[in-house]
This record gives sequence, C-alpha cells and structure tokens, in this order.
Amino acid sequence: MKTLGRLTLPVYFWLFVAYLFLPLLVMAAVGFRDSNFVAFPIQAWTTRWYQSVVFERDIMSSIWVSVKVALGATALSLIIGIPMAFFVAGLRGFRRAAMIAVIMLPAFLPVIVAAISLRMFIGVLGLQTGIGAIIFGHAVSTIPFVVVMILTRLGAMSPNLADAARDLGADEFIVFLRVTLPFLMPAIFGGAVFSMLLSFEDFVRSFFLGGFEPTFPVLLFSKLRFGFDPGLAAISTMVLVASIVIGLYAERFSRRRQLGNSSKIVALDQR
Amino acid sequence: MTRFLVLARRFGPYRAFSDALSMHPGLRYGLVAVLPVLWIVVANIAPLARMVLISFYESFPLPPGETPTLTLAQYQAFFERPLYLTAFARTFIFAALATALTLFVIFPIAYYISKVVPRDKRLRLLLLAIAPFWISEIIRSFAWILMLANRGAVNSFLMWMGLTGRPVELLYNNISLTIGVLYLTSLYMLLPLYAALEKIDDRLIEAASDLGALRFTILRRIIMPLSREGIITGCVLVFLLVTGLYALPQLLGGPSNTLFASIVGQVFSRAGDSWPLGSAFSVILMGVSLAFVAIFMALFQSRRTRA
Repeated sequence: MKTLGRLTLPVYFWLFVAYLFLPLLVMAAVGFRDSNFVAFPIQAWTTRWYQSVVFERDIMSSIWVSVKVALGATALSLIIGIPMAFFVAGLRGFRRAAMIAVIMLPAFLPVIVAAISLRMFIGVLGLQTGIGAIIFGHAVSTIPFVVVMILTRLGAMSPNLADAARDLGADEFIVFLRVTLPFLMPAIFGGAVFSMLLSFEDFVRSFFLGGFEPTFPVLLFSKLRFGFDPGLAAISTMVLVASIVIGLYAERFSRRRQLGNSSKIVALDQR
Repeated sequence: MTRFLVLARRFGPYRAFSDALSMHPGLRYGLVAVLPVLWIVVANIAPLARMVLISFYESFPLPPGETPTLTLAQYQAFFERPLYLTAFARTFIFAALATALTLFVIFPIAYYISKVVPRDKRLRLLLLAIAPFWISEIIRSFAWILMLANRGAVNSFLMWMGLTGRPVELLYNNISLTIGVLYLTSLYMLLPLYAALEKIDDRLIEAASDLGALRFTILRRIIMPLSREGIITGCVLVFLLVTGLYALPQLLGGPSNTLFASIVGQVFSRAGDSWPLGSAFSVILMGVSLAFVAIFMALFQSRRTRA
C-alpha cells in the first residue's frame, strides 16, 4: 500500500508530461507522412514536407514578419521597461502599489479587450494597422513582465555599489553603464527573451492590429480554418522546436549569469 | 565606452550636466520618469478610456462636423439578445469550471515537483513541464486537432485496438475545448503553486506526520493554508485567461459552445458602425471579469485574517 502511494505521484506526473508532449510529437510525426492527407498510422515516411515548406513564400514571409515584430517589440519594451523599473523603484508605499497596479493592468485584461482597445487607439497615435501597430501592441503587453523582472533584480542590488563608484569619481552615466547595467543584465536578458517569445507566439493582438501582412500565428490560424496538410505540421514543428530551444537556452543563460553575478557582488559587498 | 565618457567630461556643458545629475537625485529621477509616465498614460490608460467613451457613442467614426451624442443603446443591445446573454453566462461558468479543473489537475504536479523530488532535480522537471508554453496557442491547438480529429491519432489508436468500430466525436465539442483549455492554463497555475509550495518548511509536514496526522489532514490543515497565496494567484490568472480566450475556442470548440470573447471579436470586426457595440461588449467583459476576481480575492483574503 505504501509503495503504491509512493508511486502514484510520479506516475501521475509522467502522465501529465505525456499529455503535454504527445500532441507535439504526433504533430512532428505527421510532418513526415508521405501523403497529402493527414491520417494514421503513418506507413510511408518522407522528409519532403520539411524541405518543401521552406520554399513556400507566404509561410516564410509570415515568419519574417513575426521575427521583425518580435525584435521591434523587444527593443521597445526594453527602452520603456528599464526606465520604468527605475521609476517604480523610487516610489514608496501607496504610490508604489498604485503605480505597479497601473503598469500591470495590460497583463490582467482579457486579451480580446486589450486588443480591441488598442485597435481603436492606434489611429490617435497616427498608426495604421500593420507591423508598427503590432509592435506597439506587443510592447504594451510585454512591458509589465520586463518591469517586474528588472524591479526584482534592482531590489537585490545594494545602493553601496553605486555610491562606491561615485566616491571613486564616476559620474552618473559611468555608474549606470559600468555598475548598474551589468548588475541588471541577467534580468534584462531574461526580460528580452521573454518579450520576444511572448510577441512571437501572440495571436489576438496581431490579428486585430495587423494589416495585409500576417504574422505566422495569424497565417496558421487562417489556414487551419480551411483544413490542414502535413506541410503545416512540418512548419509548425520547426517553429515549435526553435521556440523551445530559445526558451531553454535563455532560461539557462539568465540563471547562470544570475548565480555568478550575485555571488561576485556579495563578495564585493562584504569586503 | 567608459573611456569615451571620461573624455566627454572635458567638454564643459556635458560636465555641468552630469555633475548636476550627481548633485540632485531629484533631477535624475525626474529625467528617468518622463518616458515611463508618458508611456503609462498613452499605452495603459488612454486606450481603455477611449474604449469606454466610444462604447457610449451611437456610431463611430462620427460624421464630420457633428458632435457626439452619448447613449446607452449599445449596452441595451447586450441585454436584448439572448444569444449574447447565454454566451456570456456560458463563458463565466466555463471559466469557473476550467479554473477548478486546472487547480485539481495541477496541484499534485506542483506538489510532486516542489516537495517529493530531490532539490537538485526540481528545476529540470519544472522546465520539462514549462517547455510547451513557449509555443504559440495556435500551434498547440493545431497539435490537438491532429490528436482528436476523426482520423486523428486518438481515434486511429482506438480503432486499431478494436475498442470502437467508427471514430468517436472528440473534436469541436466540449471535450476538445476542455482538453485544449487545460493545455493553455496549466502553466499559469503551476508556477504560482510551485512557488508557494516550495516555501513551505518540510519540517512542518514531518512534524504533523510524526504526530499522527493523516495525509488528508496534513493536506487540509498545513499545505492548503500555507499555499493559499499561490492558489489565489493561480486561480485569478487562469480565470482571466479563460474569459479572454479568443482563438482556441474557434479552432477546438464547436458552434454550440462559442465563448463570449469570440462574439466580442465578431461584433467588433463586423462591417458598419460596430466599434461602439464592440466597445460596450468589451467594457462589460472587462468589468465583470475584474469584478469576479475582486470578489474572489476579497473572500479568500478575509479568511486569512480571521485565521
């Protein structure tokens, strides 16, 4: 009875992992099916879908649009998010709580509401639907996460560090570039990759803010409404693998940097 | 870069400026605050304010030279059509059920990773459970379509096993919708639960078990209360996610279980003067879901102060 109890949780956990990964593996396998239709079991295998899909112009151009949007949204969310974290860090008490609530607001709105309100607002900014509008919309949704990540790291930073640099004659710009920024780097990097992935996978905002050039999720959505073939499974698998690899790499990188940096800083602090 | 900045200090105005920044923290802070404040107003507040305003318009865009008349007609339209009301009610019932389901399914997972597995393996297992969430909602829906379709993986497997003669209807109904939604929501439940459970001191659980507490008692009297923050956060995140779901229900759900977000989207994109109606629906959706969350949090937070 006891061993049975001990086995339940691991078995349940691995069943959950299977639930997460089995559909993705099935999709990857469908991409290898040698037929124009999707069916099981897969008897004849081919790599032609994985090869030919790279030459499909609409898919490749939608991926390129997605990449441009992701890079733009990431840049914008860093440009705004870094000063915003410093701004919040300088507030105390009720003002700080209220400001954090306002900053987090876009992350808590139902996605459809956020998308529609932005769609009606971009005209005021002089933007047309299209890549620029999508970048703006994605930045609105990723900045809350960037701010929280940098703010957390900022809270772990001793003010002595900057003061020491000032005492040694550094001016504010040098303090920022040589002391504060390097200390924040893991959080900035983590926030950047997180924004990029969030932007790359977004559908609703891209759908409402987009013009004639769809992002990859939007194109996939419109194709799926009319049916699917192994080619779509192949390209989806490739995008999926890229996303997971980038995500895992970023997670590792930022964790290693974080550990390395903070131990160094602690040593400096104690000296 | 540093060398350049040191060189720049020979340049008088720059030196004066940077010295002024060093001397006056207030000036420094003011400069830092300009961009964020501007952004918060333009990106976080103004679009919502404009949406609320448009929801009271009769039509939009306004004919040139005409002053807008404010009206409640859009909000009345919501209550007049049973189609809208049933979809609205269905969405919130579905969101509540999906939140409860996610909590029940994910709690053991979070418990297993944070409390049973040795410390050095936790992160690896957590990453394993998180990895699929870096993928687009659309791709994940597609993967489930391939699983559940009539000639999909599950049905082929069942027929190969001889369990069923002809395909079972799995796609475009509540089954596929629930499976797909759980696939989206688990992360938002897992991370807060894991964070909360990880903080619980293992010795408390050991002590309770040494004193003869049953497993269920330990769960109810120690683990649940101490992870309440995580449970609340997870439930709020999942609930808000489900009320706003737009794409997944259109791909995996059937025509009879349309969720309200899809209706908002359809109304908004309809030709003609549909912005005011779409805005009003958005305001209703936003207001009610945030109200639900506020009530939920008030209920559970007050319990904590009593205890």
